[in-house]
Amino acid sequence: MSVFFLTLYILIWPVIVAGVLYVLGKAFIQEIRAAKREGRPLI
Amino acid sequence: MVPDGAGLHQLGGWTVIGLLVLFFGSTFMMTLFIGRKKENADGYMTAGNKVGFGISAGSMTATWIWASSMYASATSGYTYGISGPIHYGLWGALMILFIYPFGKRIRAVAPKAHTLAEVMYARHGKSSQLMLAGSNIVGSMVSITSNFIAGGALISLLSPFSFTQGILFIGGGILLYSLWSGFRASVLTDAIQVFAMLGAVVIIIPVVFFAAGGTDMLVTGASKLTPQQSNFFSSEAFLNQGAPYIAAVLAYAIGNQTIAQRLFAVREDLIKKTFITATVGYGATIIGIGMLGVMALYAGVAPLDGDTNNLIPQMAATYLSPVLLGIFLIMIIGALSSTADSDLSAMSSIMMADIYGQNIAKKGEANPKTMLFVGRITMIVATGAGLYFASGKLNILDLLVFVGALWGALVFPVIASFYWQKVTNKAFTVSVLVALAFFLPIRFEWIPMTGATGIIVDVLSVIGIGVVLGLMAFGFFGLKTAKIVAGVAMVAAAPFAIGFLHGYTVLSGSLVAYAVSTLVCYFMCFSNNATFDFDSIKKRIGDFDDRAEADHTDSGSLLEKKA
Repeated sequence: MSVFFLTLYILIWPVIVAGVLYVLGKAFIQEIRAAKREGRPLI
Repeated sequence: MVPDGAGLHQLGGWTVIGLLVLFFGSTFMMTLFIGRKKENADGYMTAGNKVGFGISAGSMTATWIWASSMYASATSGYTYGISGPIHYGLWGALMILFIYPFGKRIRAVAPKAHTLAEVMYARHGKSSQLMLAGSNIVGSMVSITSNFIAGGALISLLSPFSFTQGILFIGGGILLYSLWSGFRASVLTDAIQVFAMLGAVVIIIPVVFFAAGGTDMLVTGASKLTPQQSNFFSSEAFLNQGAPYIAAVLAYAIGNQTIAQRLFAVREDLIKKTFITATVGYGATIIGIGMLGVMALYAGVAPLDGDTNNLIPQMAATYLSPVLLGIFLIMIIGALSSTADSDLSAMSSIMMADIYGQNIAKKGEANPKTMLFVGRITMIVATGAGLYFASGKLNILDLLVFVGALWGALVFPVIASFYWQKVTNKAFTVSVLVALAFFLPIRFEWIPMTGATGIIVDVLSVIGIGVVLGLMAFGFFGLKTAKIVAGVAMVAAAPFAIGFLHGYTVLSGSLVAYAVSTLVCYFMCFSNNATFDFDSIKKRIGDFDDRAEADHTDSGSLLEKKA
């Protein structure tokens, strides 16, 4: 494996994790807003 | 930040106390927002069966990411080279993915269940229920002990505090925020902890990579790797790390009550979305953390005291600034707390629903208040037991592999029980016990694996390969495809496995457990005329507590009472 691909292989995972963080964060905020709007507990 | 004499740096005692108070204090405050003066017993176990996507996916991700999985992934990277983290993290992630099709079926059959064992009680009876509940409890105890050990070891390595002081901080902190609201506290705090954990991963991996020398490290360190370590398709990594984990994919998914609890808690239409997101989140995080082990290999780092579990803290203490080292500490504490609180709620649910609700209380007369008392006492006792076992510093990963194989014996009987009318309580119980009787002497090499014995083990292992891959295919594509996949897998594996596989006792022991439980269960059932109405399960499993679950105000918020 070349140095370029090895570097990419090591650093791609934090990028994917950042993507998951974005998806979870967005959904979490939407759920908090929906709970407030409907006057029910978050959980 | 003070040098510790081994070339590493430590955080000061007050800094560590401040970080722990900040972490556990803010987590506890969060639970006050959702805490109720009168908790609902069903809510304590499954949060009302309607948790949303963001919270449930965050919770599933955080629960499956535990401190030991981070350490083990880095160890795998250090030991097996560039493919090591893949062979740990990918298969661990697939444990989450492969359970969801079965989870949808389980949820359809028993929408208001609290534990998988509870469904087994309705399907078969007490012996099947208690076998599954017992294995769930053992698994959760091993997991919680492991997390305490990881926390104690980390605190003793990065601060002036001792291992014992470390595990007491961790155990007390987790119990503090989990005790009152149970699963509801666990699932909400998990969702918050996952942001801290994943955020830390995003920062720490690139920082360590560039601090360790970046691409120059990869060029100069390449000579330190063996041909197997630098091969992305390393057979050594596959046979020693990957294959035993592939065999354990369904076993962990079925045997772990923390997954089942989230299957019953999430809104039914969100199961697929939740579990796919958690699969990606877990996989990327754990494989990413495993890259610290690969970097250590390239950088020529020798593990402190020869213990590869020290690799991650060592890399952090070597290459991170004091602020980032604090973030690293929070990442590991978050990982172990989110899993340990889930194990506490899993064990409390089993004791509440399976032991008290169905075996001690008279039918239909379980008292919700007594149930909550049982749940809270379970949490306290389990924390105490975890601290006791942790102080003995048992070899947890060995125990975990053992428990995984125990769960392997349960996989076919449990899954078949949800689809096949003919499975009986007797077949379930006998097949699991016979599988264990085969597994133990193979796993611990009580009998020599030579001659005919070795060949028999290999043949059973090949059948085990067919069972594992067939069941995986069955979840997604149905019975016809599963039979084809199982058949092709056995034919393809046989020439390589027979005469060879018995040398790998962890892998062959696990595969034999799958094969034997499947064969015994099938042959005890296929010719009988037993029938079962799956619709009857949902009539027999429901809420224990008819007090308001959804009405937050009626049950009195803890925070409002304190104001």
